[in-house]
Amino acid sequence: MKRFHRSARAAALAALIGGFVVWTHAGSGLPAFRAEVQPEPGWERFRRDYGVSYFGDDGQFVRAVQNGYNLVFRTDQYAPRFTRPAAGGAPKACAGCHSVEDLAYSFVNSDRYDARFGRRMSFEDYVRHCYAASLEGAVPTIYDPAVRDIRLLARAVAHHLQLGEGARR
Amino acid sequence: MMRKFLQTAAMLAVLAGLYGLSLYKHAERDELRRAPVALTPGCAEKFERYGLAADKIYRSPYVLARAGAARELRPYSADDVRAIQRGCNIVDDTQGELASRSVERWNAARFIRGNQLSCDHCHQGIGDKQDANGNRLKGSLSLGASWVMADMYDRFTGLLLPFELRQMQCFINSSNGYKPNISDDLVRDITAYSRFLSAALDLRIGNHYEEQGIDEIAASDTLKQGDDYVRGEALFKQKCASCHGPQAQGHVVAGRVVAPAIAGPDAWNMQSRNYFYYVSTILPGFICRNMPLGQENTLTNQQCRDVAYFISNLPRPAGDKQGPLMALRQQLLMNAIPPLVRITSSSRAPFKDEEQ
Repeated sequence: MKRFHRSARAAALAALIGGFVVWTHAGSGLPAFRAEVQPEPGWERFRRDYGVSYFGDDGQFVRAVQNGYNLVFRTDQYAPRFTRPAAGGAPKACAGCHSVEDLAYSFVNSDRYDARFGRRMSFEDYVRHCYAASLEGAVPTIYDPAVRDIRLLARAVAHHLQLGEGARR
Repeated sequence: MMRKFLQTAAMLAVLAGLYGLSLYKHAERDELRRAPVALTPGCAEKFERYGLAADKIYRSPYVLARAGAARELRPYSADDVRAIQRGCNIVDDTQGELASRSVERWNAARFIRGNQLSCDHCHQGIGDKQDANGNRLKGSLSLGASWVMADMYDRFTGLLLPFELRQMQCFINSSNGYKPNISDDLVRDITAYSRFLSAALDLRIGNHYEEQGIDEIAASDTLKQGDDYVRGEALFKQKCASCHGPQAQGHVVAGRVVAPAIAGPDAWNMQSRNYFYYVSTILPGFICRNMPLGQENTLTNQQCRDVAYFISNLPRPAGDKQGPLMALRQQLLMNAIPPLVRITSSSRAPFKDEEQ
């Protein structure tokens, strides 16, 4: 009986490991794990207006910029963990306060000492602060695509506007 | 009951002590950020030329002199200026050889194994190499140009690689060292300096500039005579050994690095992009455009590839992802090969150039 129990436990463990391997293998094909970005209304126009195709018709960078676009204009859908709806239930979005050009100028003027915070603030620090203070959500890590892709969107727009470090409006 | 209470009290006291210590360390770090920065001679000259000053609209004297007009850019605060100055010191003198006591350079050197490598060895001209007329040089690994082109897809890591993570890779592989935190002052100071360089040179976001990165040399850029170890060794002895040493282990005089190790325990490791077997185009490109110092662009593409191939066959540390067995193997080779080479080369007829 004891022996049977031991074999059953070993079999269960092997099945668990096997199941995990199959899950990770198959999981990579699921939409949640694919680096494809849902095209939202206005993306094609944005892409044309800001010359995103300079960086290629498709590719990792362009997809990240597209995700950045979705994050900025539909923050509640694409970063739900980091965004809480307003009191009346209206969705909040970065675009409610910032234009994409604001973000580009902010990007080229970041990494400077900010007296309001008493420290040097990177662009990512500002984005994280916005999620916490303006969007009233949780704070993403500095590596989170919800932060990174907004930076890449700002970089693409800054390129289109031919901005350099410290450019003023 | 009493014992449990004491245990809890002791635990709380330890936690409070740790909290107090972290507050003290934060205050100490803030104090250091406010301290004036003693510049290296190279940085002092560079900032004089580029007109870095606090609290006034920045207009680059370099751009003004070359183009006749320069844009007005956002002023730097005193804190920004100190960060930029610290970043320059780190790049120019990573090991702190030029300072009796330097906090920012101590912080940088602890992420590097060995006491030879400095950012400036690859990013020459303190990350902004120019000729006598102030022209930026092709393939000179400019930090300013690298900043404006950061965030692109990197095939080696599979990431959209931010400037800060690229710096981490430099510390881990090119310096065979350790990974600093992305928010470490070290990384942020180097970023601040690189961003200032891009402002001083009027570089625009997302544009490619010739001085960015390496002017890579593929086999197809040669006459396809094959990368040759023997030719590489002869050339190394002729062109490189006088500075880098007969076995490429660097040349240090009175504690100061005259030329850094390019093989052996103080050199970059096997997962650095300088390693020929990992990326075969980068080290040849670096050699052609930046070596020998003062005679840049004098070697042919094939010669650069030969020398790079030879150097990469000398023993060096294993990369951070290659595991303990490879690390052990490389340690053994690094200890065994140099004495063997010394013995065999002393019993061998010298090259013609060695006789001279």
